[in-house]
This record gives sequence, structure tokens and C-alpha cells, in this order.
Amino acid sequence: MTTEELTTQFVTIQGELKSFLLRMTASVQDAEDIVQETYLKAHAKIDTFRGESSLKTWVFSIASNLAKDLLKSKKRWPENVTDICKDAALGNRRFFQEAMQIRQSSPQGNFEIKEHIAFCFTCVSKSLPLEGHLVLLLKEVYNFKVREISQILQMSEAMVKYHLHVSRNKMIKIFDHRCSLINKEGICYQCTELNGIFNPKQKAQEELVKIEMAREADNRSRDELFDLRMKILQELDPFESGAAELQLHHLEHNRQVMEKHLEENS
Amino acid sequence: MNRQANPNTRDAKAATTKKTFSRETSVSTTIFADPAIVWALLTHASDIPRWNSTVTSVKGEIKEGETIELKSTLDAKRTFKLKVKEFVPEKRLVWGDAMGNRVYTLVKGDGGGVHFSMTEKIGGPLFPLFAGAIPSFDESFERYAADLKKEAETIQRSKK
Repeated sequence: MTTEELTTQFVTIQGELKSFLLRMTASVQDAEDIVQETYLKAHAKIDTFRGESSLKTWVFSIASNLAKDLLKSKKRWPENVTDICKDAALGNRRFFQEAMQIRQSSPQGNFEIKEHIAFCFTCVSKSLPLEGHLVLLLKEVYNFKVREISQILQMSEAMVKYHLHVSRNKMIKIFDHRCSLINKEGICYQCTELNGIFNPKQKAQEELVKIEMAREADNRSRDELFDLRMKILQELDPFESGAAELQLHHLEHNRQVMEKHLEENS
Repeated sequence: MNRQANPNTRDAKAATTKKTFSRETSVSTTIFADPAIVWALLTHASDIPRWNSTVTSVKGEIKEGETIELKSTLDAKRTFKLKVKEFVPEKRLVWGDAMGNRVYTLVKGDGGGVHFSMTEKIGGPLFPLFAGAIPSFDESFERYAADLKKEAETIQRSKK
């Protein structure tokens, strides 16, 4: 493969790669840095690419290794990350001022419940063990096959299946306990609360009906509802959506809160 | 010596051998899954209570030389502090305390299955004094093996 071919193909993969890395790291800066570093590594090692896997698989393998190197020394986030970050946001006037400014002035400043569902998943999934987090995103959001994930992460297909099974079950359990969109006894209403703040004229119930996962909450199994949640993530590009700037601002807030929280509790 | 088999009808039957100064309970079954999956289920401590109906919590890491704190349905009020004495991936795991050891073994079979066995031997000079207060392990062992088999085979069959 020539450098030109690599560059051309890399450009087509870049968007998905950056979104994957954002969902792994919860940091725009880290995601962008790793994308750049991935390209440089791929460029440097282009002679070793033998086409035994697709270029996309090979590129994701380089990026996953870089993400692992970055994240392996960092603590995982707690399951109740959204509660901790909500408390921090309520005590931080600047956060809401900035958010309202983005809401009013940015073309990517809309608030949509669907976008918040994806954002929420990004935060909560950082409570999974690192390997499980990687496997879950690669399989359920970026649609890689078990065999391809085995190549990307250099682990056996059996272990890919193990991590996938455990991670799915853990996330299903967390959301079933927490998310009021799928369980009437869920304890978290943040997406509809924020909708009330950013879209005061909207009726949350009318918005929820537009979301298949919320609409089907009483009729589908927990597994199916999780698949619908994954469908929301698959369809959203966190950098390009109409809510991107608002959600990235929120994500950066949560990342900073988590870093402080984990340091204080270490 | 008094050897008893549990009368419950389950896939894997536990058997207990009683002697004056010791008691040994064993269970074994064939699991149709990759040994890596069975091993991961046995050794990822924090995940064990999810699939194993006989364990309510495990704290610590299951690695050689580490000590774990395990709570079981056999005695809900008690926390067992157990040292991991052997850890041979996908083959053998041993943990225990002053009372005895629990030994897990995996042997890959010819037909694609894994032969899983779990044995616990407890005893010592004072064993006759408290033997009567220790509940039978048979049913718990059978459930352990059945839960492990079910979970591992579910993962093995999961989507590609």
C-alpha cells in the first residue's frame, strides 16, 4: 500500500476512529492526539501491513493500543458518575453559564434527549474494566466482528466473547437500575431534567415518544432495549451532531470532575 | 469412611467423603466452552456473584499470593479470608485457609469440552469438635458447577 492510498483510506476511517477514541477517553484532546499518532504510526509501519485484515481493522488496532497505553494507568470511573457530576455541576455557576451561551449561539448547541443518552452511555461505560470497554464499543457501536476484535486487541475470540458478555450484562444491569427511560423505578432523570432547562418550551414526554428505546420500554426485553441504546450511539457522531458542542462541553466538565474525584478518593 | 452422594437431580453430582479428622467434597462436570472462558469466569473476582448463585461477594484479586475475601450463601454472616496458593491459567487454581483448601482443575477434553472439577478438603486435629456445625457443601457445589457450565456455554454460543 502506498502512502497516498493510506492517506486516502485513513480519511474515510478518521471520523469513526475519532468518535471511538472520544468514547474511550472522554477527552476531545486525547481523542485528537491519538488519531494523529495513529496516522503517524500507520505511516511508519505501512510496510508491515500485509492486508491480512482490512485497513480499518489494522488502524483501529494501532489506535486501541495507544488508547490502552494512555488509559491503563488511570482509574476507571464509578457507575454513579452522572450523580457525582450532577452535584458538581449544580455547584458550578460557570458551567451553566457556558452551556447556556453555547445553547444560544452555537449551530451545534441544541439539546436533544437522544444525544444525552449517548453522552450518558459514554460516561457510564467508563466504569467497565478497560478491556471490556474496548470490546463493547468495538462490537456494539462500531460493528466489528468477534474475529476482527480478536485481531484488534490481540486476544482470543473466546476472551472477546467473554468480555462482551460480561460488559453487556453489567451495562444492562446499571441502566435497568438507573435509567428512568427504560424502568419506571429508575433513579436518574437527568436527560429530561436538562431538556427542561435547555428546551423549556418542549414537553419531555412528546420528545421521549420519538425515541424508540423509551417508547418500547414496556414491550421489549432488557437485552433488546440495550440494543436500541446501542443503535442511538451508532447513529450519532459526537463531533458532528447538532448537539455536539453542548455535549462536548458537558463531557469535558464530567472528565474534569472525575479526575478530581478519583484523585481525592485514591 | 462414609461416602455419600447428594440425592438432588442435577447435571453434576457432588460427593462427600467423611473421615474422623477431615471431610472432602467434590464435584465435576464437562463444560462445552473454551477453557479461557471457564478460567475467566473462575478468576475475575468481582464478576463472580453475577453468574454464581452460591457466592454473594468477592473482594480482592484472584492471583497467586493474593488474599481474597469471599462471602457465600452457605454462611451469609461469615467472610472467608482465603489465600490464593496456586494459579496456573486454564489448568489449576487453589485457594484456602487454615481449615483447608479448595482446588479447581480444568482439563481440555478431546470432544471440545473442558472437564471441570472442584474439590474442597477441610480438616485438622480439632475437626471432630466442630464438624457437626459445618453445613454440607454438596448442594452448593452442584449449583456452583451448574452455574459455571450454564454461563460458560452461554458465552461460547454467543453471537459472532
